[in-house]
Amino acid sequence: MNRVQGNNGWVGLLALIGLALVWQLASMLVTVEITPGVPMVPGWQVVLTSTFVSMSNFWMGGFGIPAASAGTEPSYGVALLSVLFNSLDTFRRLLLGCFIGGGLGFILGLLLSLSQWTNRLVGPTMRFVRTLPLLAMIPLFQLWFGIADFGMVTFIAYGVGVILFTSVLNAVPRIAPIYLANARCLGASPWRLFRTVTIPAILPEVRSAAVIAMGVAWAAALGAEYLGAQSGLGRIVVASEAFGYLDRMFLTAVIIVLYAAGSTYLLDRAFARVLQWG
Amino acid sequence: MSTRDNHTAVASPTRSPSLLSRSLARLDPVGVLGLVLTIAIWHVIATLQGRVVPSPLAVANEIVSNFFVAPTFRYYGIADAGYLDAILYTTSNVLMATAAGGVIGIIFGLMTARRRLLRSAFDPIFSTLSTIPIFIAAPFLLLWFGVNRFSAVVIVALYVMTIVYVYAQRALYNLQPIYEQYARTLGANERRLFTDILVPGTLPEILGGLRIALAGAWGLAAISELIGSQRGAGKVIQSLANSVDVKGIFCVLLLLGITATLIDWCLALGIGRLTSWANQAGSKDD
Repeated sequence: MNRVQGNNGWVGLLALIGLALVWQLASMLVTVEITPGVPMVPGWQVVLTSTFVSMSNFWMGGFGIPAASAGTEPSYGVALLSVLFNSLDTFRRLLLGCFIGGGLGFILGLLLSLSQWTNRLVGPTMRFVRTLPLLAMIPLFQLWFGIADFGMVTFIAYGVGVILFTSVLNAVPRIAPIYLANARCLGASPWRLFRTVTIPAILPEVRSAAVIAMGVAWAAALGAEYLGAQSGLGRIVVASEAFGYLDRMFLTAVIIVLYAAGSTYLLDRAFARVLQWG
Repeated sequence: MSTRDNHTAVASPTRSPSLLSRSLARLDPVGVLGLVLTIAIWHVIATLQGRVVPSPLAVANEIVSNFFVAPTFRYYGIADAGYLDAILYTTSNVLMATAAGGVIGIIFGLMTARRRLLRSAFDPIFSTLSTIPIFIAAPFLLLWFGVNRFSAVVIVALYVMTIVYVYAQRALYNLQPIYEQYARTLGANERRLFTDILVPGTLPEILGGLRIALAGAWGLAAISELIGSQRGAGKVIQSLANSVDVKGIFCVLLLLGITATLIDWCLALGIGRLTSWANQAGSKDD
């Protein structure tokens, strides 16, 4: 979609700053506390200081700095390490899941679309499978594959894979026959036809599916961690929620939004570079 | 987007007698065969892995026997109303949230479509909202508004709003100005312009966006119930998971999928009827 008049980035930035200021204003107006010392709407002066330092509590140990449970004093340095390493855990699961699921979904979708028959055979079933609410399947995946990394990665891979798989299944039959006929007339071999016509023709649709899948992957990763991980950002949320530490949940939410928006943007840019002809 | 490409078929000049026969004609026998094969494979896996994968027959049996009243639910700490009650509760949440979120999304989307300043300001805010994973957003709303039905509906409505906003905005943005200019030259006033040009020009795309939002709403509603609710499909799934009742989880998921498919199908039929002009020559791809 090429907009004649693109959005003004500065206005967007101002709007987001405005959103942050509205939050600050709300924190001044609503002074109710959930638990003593934890405001219902934590202002930025709280979130960026005491809340951030309290992230030290999620430090698991390493680099000669003992874990928080072993009595390390909270500090900005330890908090930063803690946020970084919990983020890395989430990233690791997310990326593994995205690569395995996305790769398998894309390749299987292409293989089953080589023939119109196989495409029609699996299409309707897959479209039904896609209607099954993904996040509600977390308990099922935990029972099947455990609550460790293996189960989480499998779950993320499934969520991403189903989306890409169905998008490829939908896109291949919609390729304009004229492209294929033209390439055949010029003497393209089946393999070359596949490489130079089929794959480029479906990429625009795969792009929008991939961007959606990225958002789903974040939701899936957070959900899997929320419901049973020992580390990662999702665990920070659930551990904070248990004690009513709304400020910690808010800080984690801000971090996650930055990650999710950033990764979605990067993925979209990467596709835009590949699809320069479009 | 994963929608059945029912718009690619241009309406045939001879109208078939009934909706049912037309939809049956759209059924692909090969696709039906695929579904049967899937169930067969599922059955084979179930015989090999009986402990963790319930067989299709067992699941069907479970659904039928506990559809209206499920006495076993009492042991799990939920009211012993059966699967029907849970699905109905979730369905009504989903529909309420889709209606509320859809209306707000349409209003903001149309408002910002042609005003660059507003668009530049609202786009980042809406896209930020849409990137907050539900497992983060839900606990917040539950802590703020309490564990009740209102919170559950608000959570889902937020996500529906962000999706419909994008579609409504794009629909009006991409509407060719030539239509409006032509109507103006023919002397249309603002009201006529709205009812005869803007509504028919944007409705098909907006309703398509609503369908996509609705498809996503099921999972979100189930999660908001799983995190904090006393009823609904999500709550049932959580209770069943705590007692390792895989068969029951299968039943709830399947029923949710079937309900979602049926409602989507009704919506698609309704949209097809309501916006029949969009399916004529030059039909749009959804």
